[in-house]
Amino acid sequence: MRPDPLFMPVRELSKHIKSGRISPMELTELYLRRLEKIGPNYNSVVTVTRKRALRQARREEKEIEAGNYRGLLHGIPYGVKDLIATKGIPTSWGAAPFKDQAFDYDATVVKKLDQAGAILCVKLAMIELAGGMGYRQPFASFTGPPKNPWNPDTWTGGSSSGSGAAVAAGLVPFAIGSETWGSILSPSSSCGVTGLRPTYGRVSRHGAMALCWSLDKLGPLCQTADDCGVVLEAIAGPDPDDPTTTNETWTYKPRSTKKHFKVGVLRGVADDAQDEVRQNFEEALKVVRRFASVEEFELPDLPYEAITRTILNAEAASAFDEFVEAGLSHKLTAPEDHWGPYARTALLATDYLRAMRLRGRMAKAVAEAMEPYDAVAAPTAKKAATPIDKEFRKVAPGATKDVMGAVGNGCGLPSIGVPDGFTEAGLPTGIQFMGHPYDENTIINIARAYQGLTDWHRRHPPIPETKKRVGGSRLIPLKNTPPT
Amino acid sequence: MSDEKSRETEARLRIIADRYGDRLTPEELEEVRKALEANLEAAHALRSIRLENWDEPFSVFKPIRRRRV
Repeated sequence: MRPDPLFMPVRELSKHIKSGRISPMELTELYLRRLEKIGPNYNSVVTVTRKRALRQARREEKEIEAGNYRGLLHGIPYGVKDLIATKGIPTSWGAAPFKDQAFDYDATVVKKLDQAGAILCVKLAMIELAGGMGYRQPFASFTGPPKNPWNPDTWTGGSSSGSGAAVAAGLVPFAIGSETWGSILSPSSSCGVTGLRPTYGRVSRHGAMALCWSLDKLGPLCQTADDCGVVLEAIAGPDPDDPTTTNETWTYKPRSTKKHFKVGVLRGVADDAQDEVRQNFEEALKVVRRFASVEEFELPDLPYEAITRTILNAEAASAFDEFVEAGLSHKLTAPEDHWGPYARTALLATDYLRAMRLRGRMAKAVAEAMEPYDAVAAPTAKKAATPIDKEFRKVAPGATKDVMGAVGNGCGLPSIGVPDGFTEAGLPTGIQFMGHPYDENTIINIARAYQGLTDWHRRHPPIPETKKRVGGSRLIPLKNTPPT
Repeated sequence: MSDEKSRETEARLRIIADRYGDRLTPEELEEVRKALEANLEAAHALRSIRLENWDEPFSVFKPIRRRRV
């Protein structure tokens, strides 16, 4: 019997591709069809790269048939957030003023995935300019408000919105997103997929839109933590075109889940989360205690959010200086993005430098506080997916503090978000494991241990399935069971 | 908001209004004022922490070496 590849983790897909039971061409065609038929339901697609994908799939299939199997990503389709440059294909940055922008080169991350034999199928929707203009509601993208496959009346989270939705809806086996502050972890939580924010400098950003040079990271969104390790290994490593990349290469080392870990929980970190998010987090910690010791810890009193926010505001103001000066923010989709960038133009250089000086103190304080632990756990996001037509800060307005995000992004720490349950309304929630710089292996192994004891990551939204037939495609109901 | 913060907000708002006032409606300028207040709150939180002269910005500038042919 031929295996059903839909929602199959990359590691499993790769076994079938290597053995010849699944053809890269057929797999690519399946996902292209899903992207074209189902993608628009969620406003998750900007450009389907059909020609490039089929050309590449043909090449990879021949290579595999000839016995030149390159590794786990060989013949696997994927998508990238539409802020990553792809040669000759529009790279819109999610923003109407850039919708026809095209580059004559591939970003390093795309080149690396190409070398691994992965097949680029789609440029995925995102919040305009990665949310850098201060958006407040989901309709902040020229491709429409990104809809959550678990409930299209709710938002995917952002700004890697299409990357989260596409993995959740089985439109691609994995996707690449970016995070400056929350943009991988937020859609990971809202869409119920596994998202990895790598250490700052682990993955080259050459060819990716810059929002904040000292905060931007690229990372994968996948079905499982294990897949995140597989993808990260392919995209990590030094790049002379990105001077912030570390000189170290990175090898994924999946370890036995029998290892006992030490996990810290920042005191009160879930206190202001939505009730169901907090309850699911507490249940998740019970599972974590089966393979780790869990204890509370505290951080010294520092203005963490003010530090990271000031850095973000100052660097974003500079990165989009010409854009704002030219008045182009007024051509963006969200009304709040029209005026959003102006306040930043009056930031003082001394305040930015003070934030950068305090960043050193923050990094040392956090490293010291985290020293006893392999990772720190927290809810991935403090609220489940918010309504598609509402300002997200106005939903559960108490749950807006984000010390974990400020610390994690300000200090460049890796974090992995995995699904940990559902709300009564059937919306996913998540738990994140944030680790020490350059130690992605530990957090991936903790997340693997958690996923070895739970099945939240194996649940999928009830979405339509495309089925090929002679003369075209049709939609039939999917047999996947919604969460109970 | 203290008088000092309020004066600082107004001073910055005047700069923005001078530079970009022709593109911003009164309602948008009011939103800019709120954003300025939030930025100033953050700046004051940063300024409340004592730093030493030798506390450097946490960024590394690396001069580019000459390429050898």
